[in-house]
Amino acid sequence: MTKGTPDMTSPRPPAVEVRNLSKHYGDFVALRDVNVTIGAGEYFVLLGPSGGGKTTLLRTIGGFHRPTSGEVLLNGQSVGHLPPDKRPTTMVFQAYALFPHMTVTQNVGYGLKVAGLRKDKIAEKVDYALEQVGLSQFTHRKPHELSGGQQQRVQLARAIVLDRDILLLDEPLAALDAQLRKDMCLELKHLQEQVGITFIHVTHNQEEAMTVADRIALIANGNLVECGNARDIYRAPDKTFTASFVGENNMLSGKIATANGTSAIVDVAGARLSVDTRGLHVQDGQPVNLSIRSECVAIDHADAAADAHSIKGAYTESVYLGLTTSHLVRLPDGTEMISRVISDTDDGLPEAGAPLRVTWKPSDIRLHVE
Amino acid sequence: MASPTTDVTDGGTLPVGTPPVTPWRDRLTPWVFRAPLVFMVMFFAIPMALTVVFSVFERTMFWMEPGFTLFSYENFFFSARLINFLDSMKYSLIAVAICFVLGFPIAVFIRKSVPQVAQHRVILLFILPFMVSEIIRVFALRPVLQRNGLVNSTLMDLGLIDEPITALLYSHTGVVIGEVLSFLPFIVFAGFLAMEAVPKYIFEVCDDLGVGPWRRFKDVILPLAAPGIFAGSVFIFVNGLGVALLPNILGGAGAVNAGLIATQAITALDFPLAMAVSAIMMATLMTLLWIGHKLFDLTKILSPLS
Repeated sequence: MTKGTPDMTSPRPPAVEVRNLSKHYGDFVALRDVNVTIGAGEYFVLLGPSGGGKTTLLRTIGGFHRPTSGEVLLNGQSVGHLPPDKRPTTMVFQAYALFPHMTVTQNVGYGLKVAGLRKDKIAEKVDYALEQVGLSQFTHRKPHELSGGQQQRVQLARAIVLDRDILLLDEPLAALDAQLRKDMCLELKHLQEQVGITFIHVTHNQEEAMTVADRIALIANGNLVECGNARDIYRAPDKTFTASFVGENNMLSGKIATANGTSAIVDVAGARLSVDTRGLHVQDGQPVNLSIRSECVAIDHADAAADAHSIKGAYTESVYLGLTTSHLVRLPDGTEMISRVISDTDDGLPEAGAPLRVTWKPSDIRLHVE
Repeated sequence: MASPTTDVTDGGTLPVGTPPVTPWRDRLTPWVFRAPLVFMVMFFAIPMALTVVFSVFERTMFWMEPGFTLFSYENFFFSARLINFLDSMKYSLIAVAICFVLGFPIAVFIRKSVPQVAQHRVILLFILPFMVSEIIRVFALRPVLQRNGLVNSTLMDLGLIDEPITALLYSHTGVVIGEVLSFLPFIVFAGFLAMEAVPKYIFEVCDDLGVGPWRRFKDVILPLAAPGIFAGSVFIFVNGLGVALLPNILGGAGAVNAGLIATQAITALDFPLAMAVSAIMMATLMTLLWIGHKLFDLTKILSPLS
């Protein structure tokens, strides 16, 4: 088994190449001019809010929907209007989509039976697939005798047994409870590393996305907003939407006061904040957004020195979340900022309404222009 | 309307020793469920049992008298009646098959392609024929099927036939057409309910695995929908045997069914024979249901997805 990392130097074509893809349902635009390239052997996650178009994209790649315009290339070949079974893709569905009247073995082997494989060959492949998903003891059970997690594993086995090299997962863990979902995430990741094929996984759960993904694409309102490595998406979001959707970011809106090349001064709620422009082109007076992750924000005394990396506010309340505590601060313009700290003492909390200063490191604040 | 004797709540203490008086309303409630049971026992179960008892009674001029004779059964099994009965079974089966071929695809189509909110409305359309009395519906077939009826004159005008097909009416064909007309909605209903046992996602899984239409039907839909389909088919089959109206209006020499045989026996004042025919029909139905239950577990019909 080869390790499933994308190898950029190999002449292998990308597993999926989506070009200018649009999908309309009457007046409703489900996907708008989407372009994305997914490398062979990559674990790729489509992340976004419900109804944003990520499932539509996945299903269009799988051949369940026809695009209104644009095209999909799989392994370098345009798949045009090929039906799902003629594509190198296979799907793991959200619901426990198994044949209720067949045993685990029959469920997994049915695709091969339809493909006309010999019985002994089918049995061999099914055994191997079930072993890979850890279900070897459950071969004779019917789906209703399995737990939700086991049912999803049967789906996985049914998919990988087909030897197609792109696996599409449509919210595969959505129906599982939180703990099981965490365990299954890791299992999915390990399974992908084991079999080395491309996984494309749709989810609205960012923790799930972070756990499994090599790369993440954010999809909202039919647009592919941003695409990048999982860590970069979290630490260094480019777009306002990404910052507001991934992690827990404080979003500040303001206007550019002065822009001088690599950095800019932004007017926010009566304060002048300095921010790196990241090479973005900004003009004086342009409305912009700033984001700072809540865990990068600290609370200081009200009389601390004012600088370009802090802002005045009034304490609202603290929310105890177990591992962390969130401190809520209201800025003069009404914006609420959150400072999240790991701390288990309740001592020394400011009183509600107490004035204070919120501070951060210069490198933690990011500028978004769109 | 509470009677004063039930007013014991004011003090909060019940008098010791005297049992609390149950309001008449509470005592009446169980009868909401018992009354239909009593009705069904009195007017269904007992008469059905009596059917078997009466079938072995001696025939008299105008009624029957207690006794034990298998004469009626002999009369049924060793006469043309048995042939007619077996024939009507055969043609009932044909009607079931035609109903299934015409009706089940409709049920699949409604489940699969009609939006969820509209499904029940579409199904409702199949109830419309029942708004017209069955006699009228069946009788209206005569001018369509008869010698110079709609079918024959159309075919002759088109030059497809030279002389009218007389086998359409007063024959087994006529009865089968009438049965399909009368019972088609039932296979649509039964099929619609049966398709509830076939989850919708199955079709997408089949797309993904490349399962063709025939395999999809044979391997997936049929096994899952079998209990419902069987129940619908038994219903049609038994009605094909029992509804005397159809062969009475559309049938002819030899084209009778068990229902008509019984009716004719009653007309001839041979009550034990009529009872024997009924008992035989009941036995047939029960055997069918027993076989069906052994094969498909018919209790599944009402709990399709559990």
